[in-house]
Amino acid sequence: MVIRIAAVGDVHMDRDVLGRFRPALEELPDRADVLLLAGDLTRHGTESEARCVATEFGNLGVPVVAVLGNHDYHCDEVPRVIRVLEDAGIVVLEGTNLVVERDGTRLGIAGAKGFGGGFAGRCASEFGEPEMKAFIRTTQAIADQLGEALREMDCDVRVALTHYAPVPDTLAGEPLEIYPFLGSYLLGQAIDSAPTELALHGHAHAGSERGTTPGGVRVRNVAHPVIKQAYSVFHLHAPQAGRSGKVSAITRSGSS
Amino acid sequence: MNERTRGGTEPPDDYLEAAIQRLLTEHTAIAEQGLTVTRRDHSLVVCGEVESAQRREEILRLVLERFPHLPVTVDIGLIRTQAPSEVEELR
Ligand SMILES: [Fe+2]
Ligand SMILES: [Fe+2]
Repeated sequence: MVIRIAAVGDVHMDRDVLGRFRPALEELPDRADVLLLAGDLTRHGTESEARCVATEFGNLGVPVVAVLGNHDYHCDEVPRVIRVLEDAGIVVLEGTNLVVERDGTRLGIAGAKGFGGGFAGRCASEFGEPEMKAFIRTTQAIADQLGEALREMDCDVRVALTHYAPVPDTLAGEPLEIYPFLGSYLLGQAIDSAPTELALHGHAHAGSERGTTPGGVRVRNVAHPVIKQAYSVFHLHAPQAGRSGKVSAITRSGSS
Repeated sequence: MNERTRGGTEPPDDYLEAAIQRLLTEHTAIAEQGLTVTRRDHSLVVCGEVESAQRREEILRLVLERFPHLPVTVDIGLIRTQAPSEVEELR
């Protein structure tokens, strides 16, 4: 059984972007079973920008599931942003999950914005000034919720959706100095705490597409400037008992 | 010729890249974190990709307004939004 997942992050919507994604989005029902939005949906996190997201990404004929990004927090209007999105039928995950059933296969999506801190051996620690401790505690709390949301789902295929990166692999192309602001290994650890099939994130506009967690979960950076198309599509083959080993392959769409 | 000798209200050039980077991120009309600013000889190059042509124009306008004496090259592209021609099979 194949589940088709479309995903994009960092669309940074405002009025000047309205309509740019729509022609490609109209094709979604033929191409994918669900659309995942990996945060930074807006430019500044205002209610009016959220309305642009709702207009562009609402009523697509497939379920749309999102997490917010740092830009969506900028104007301190998060509850209003979420309400506008949810009124348009877009499900917003924040340490929560959703199971979508498609032809008898249950796709479980657990999502959280995530936060920074850096990667094993080169990361910030919960030590010293209150501001530094608060920084890492924030990431830890979000990672704990994400892990819980992933583990508790009763489903056939698990996908993790974050804005910040769970591994450094998909940051290749970004300056090393800013890695601690781009993601945290704590998110990767949470993803590895459940039998996750795929982890999607955004945020690293200059990063690269593919990576893997230490536990072997495929990670994809779907930030719009990285994928350079309206969305990427992944065909997830539900795991079968007794089979081991993982294979990724790119195929022309429409060829199968 | 060093920007520092120009006087006026311009920041010294060691801090110029930081000043422009922060303008690009923190100015409400821009809010771009993904652009790079580099100095090439005596000019400044702003590189990256944005979501609309209006944003590119606004960046150029605001950088020129804030740093009127700097030669600036803006090499910013528009991110394409076509539907994908390929899918990735994950087994
Ligand atoms: Fe972004
Ligand atoms: Fe971001």
